[in-house]
Amino acid sequence: MSEQPTAHDAGHGHDHDHGAEQRSGAPGFVLSKLEDWARESSLWPVTFGLACCAIEMMAMSASRFDVARFGSEVFRASPRQADLMIVAGRVAQKMGPVLREVYDQMPEPKWVIAMGDCASCTGVFNNYALIQGVDKIVPVDVYVPGCPPTPDALLDSILKLKQRVAANSRTLRHGLQTPPGPAIPRGAAAAQQPPGV
Amino acid sequence: MTTPAPPAAPAETETPEPPHDPLRAALPHAAEVSIAADGIPTVRVPLERLLEAIERVRGELGHTRFVDLTAVDRLQREERFELVYLFYSLDQRTWLRLKTRTDAEAPSLTGSVPGANWYERELYDLFGIRFSGHPDLCRIMLPDDWRGHPLRRTEPLGSEPVDFTVTRGVYGTG
Amino acid sequence: MAQAELQTPSTSALTTDVEPPRELLTINMGPQHPSTHGVLRLELQLDGEVVVHCRPVIGYLHTGIEKTFEAKTYVQGVVLTDRMDYLNPLGNNLAYALAVEKLVACEIPERATVLRVLLAELTRIASHLMFIGSMALDLGASSPFLYCWREREKILDFFERISGVRMMTSFIRPGGLMRDVDAEALATIGHFVDAMPGYIDSYEELLTGNPIFKERTEGIGVLSADDALALGVSGPTLRAAGLNFDLRKTNPYCGYEAYDFAVPTGTVGDCFDRYLVRVAETRESVKICRQALDRMPGGSVRTTDRKVMPPPKEELAKSMEAVIHHFKLWTEGIRPPAGEAYVGVESPRGELGFYVVSDGSGRPIRVHERAPSFANLQALPKITEGGAVADVVACIATLDPIMGEVDR
Repeated sequence: MSEQPTAHDAGHGHDHDHGAEQRSGAPGFVLSKLEDWARESSLWPVTFGLACCAIEMMAMSASRFDVARFGSEVFRASPRQADLMIVAGRVAQKMGPVLREVYDQMPEPKWVIAMGDCASCTGVFNNYALIQGVDKIVPVDVYVPGCPPTPDALLDSILKLKQRVAANSRTLRHGLQTPPGPAIPRGAAAAQQPPGV
Repeated sequence: MTTPAPPAAPAETETPEPPHDPLRAALPHAAEVSIAADGIPTVRVPLERLLEAIERVRGELGHTRFVDLTAVDRLQREERFELVYLFYSLDQRTWLRLKTRTDAEAPSLTGSVPGANWYERELYDLFGIRFSGHPDLCRIMLPDDWRGHPLRRTEPLGSEPVDFTVTRGVYGTG
Repeated sequence: MAQAELQTPSTSALTTDVEPPRELLTINMGPQHPSTHGVLRLELQLDGEVVVHCRPVIGYLHTGIEKTFEAKTYVQGVVLTDRMDYLNPLGNNLAYALAVEKLVACEIPERATVLRVLLAELTRIASHLMFIGSMALDLGASSPFLYCWREREKILDFFERISGVRMMTSFIRPGGLMRDVDAEALATIGHFVDAMPGYIDSYEELLTGNPIFKERTEGIGVLSADDALALGVSGPTLRAAGLNFDLRKTNPYCGYEAYDFAVPTGTVGDCFDRYLVRVAETRESVKICRQALDRMPGGSVRTTDRKVMPPPKEELAKSMEAVIHHFKLWTEGIRPPAGEAYVGVESPRGELGFYVVSDGSGRPIRVHERAPSFANLQALPKITEGGAVADVVACIATLDPIMGEVDR
């Protein structure tokens, strides 16, 4: 498999400033790929179920949908031990600082999935009480539409995230919105797709 | 005490004689007694008689169980907020609604009904009604440094304008 | 003192005449916590392992739903009700629909009423399954969680079959139901209802006789009936304290007086009683579902009052009046006469009520939800204070709060 164009190559210079590791040579390449594979195979979410979406997230971890077979064996209660934050539910004004604090405590590299309409854009509740989309306070990698999204949809988002992580897991974000990643191949049409769509 | 028969089932049928008499007897200062669309007898008392009326409701009238306390912003210049108390009688199996009007203050019920604690804090938080005698009157739903009382009908919903990217792409900007 | 106590040299430095100052340790539990059943924050003051003071802090899920109701029409409001008690969405829909129907005073056909009972009880079973599973998980047992969710999935499949949505169906609306339920779906859920008692037996086999489970719940978090009533507690928590109070029996709605079911009560009011009451309630709900399925009448599921529910599509081609009703409903919505209505129903957590105030226009001026968890959670300090900090989780789990309705 040829090396996918990474975010570094797409000309996003700031990534170099944030200490993204550059490994040189063939052994470096193998080590990078090993690192990527290890990280995408063991994305451990931090327990951040807020509201109704949390129930579907629990359904995803139950036996019918079973996210453990994709590597998310456990949901860690401590953010220090997790690398994925699935914001499952609506983020109230009071909860915003808490969310940011938990996100900050997660070690790099970390990813965020905005699960559901409320986390993506507050969905039904366009009012004073909610932070209008969690991407106002944390950078989001994958948005999952639905109110609540079915466990299938959330699993799909985790699989998409795994593809992105497998392509390059070393981009540190430090508060920046994730730049467009490499193209997610969709079967035979993959070759025709321009990167970064 | 005689109990005229309100039907135990929710009042889907019209009762020819609403049970006003025991209510008026126990609450002589009631400004208004009626039956609402849900069949629940509703009594409005002046604010200064509120605690006394609640004592009567929970004592004589037997509606000991405190169910709910909320407020309605009637958008009037005077006595803007309507406090709505809901009580339930375990013996008679009926609800009773007690209302009063206030501008911004009301006596707290927490002395006799500990369960009213959070309800009063919620009304203070969202409407700005102060309950005198409350042990811990502070915001409960919104952050402590929030300014304003959102459930007042003069305060906006606080929605943000929604931009549709689809229309922007198809029809141009705007 | 002249006669000094015999002290070995090693301990003399440790023993003093002065009492060490007692310091209370304040720790924070939540709002991000695996066992707080949502975004609940507890400020606990501990004296060693004993909880001296517990102060719940809520508001971390305040969504401004009651304010949003005022900007929506009555039918749009149904969508908001699903998301308040998100483990009992159809129950919330039902309470709201009943309140609006009291305002407009319309007749609901019998098929809709029986289906409402079926859906409400299935939702109660789903909610209690979630309770059993998450309570067991909180106390360290991971298998019952998976077993309970296996059954929950079957109920959610039924909801998806009839409405297209697993959880937030908005299926019960003022005036009836969103649409009819086909016979095949009813047959499928009938098989599930018949198999359910066997499943409940399997959960009980894992938990009810389990000595570890009993040690962690018996005698823990005792709440007496008087305290419960003073705090406004209702539902299984109140029934576990010994008071036989169920709105489906005392103030029946949707024809509950015609169904044969018992109301389980506890004796002590501890965590174990609250668990037993909910398991027994699940069995009773299964009975009600079976009766509802057996007596399912035919007919329409929508009221004929055209000011509440739109006319069927075929009529629009033939009747001008139907077109006008359709137009009015889509532009202005339901316009109940000015007034107020409160309807209390028995949700899996207690007395759930909606207080709807109308001024005659198409939008309510106030909708307030009497959330059972809001009152129930006020009992948490009462049941945790004086107990061990390790029991706080069991206490929260058995109060079964849903923060969506606590904070609204």
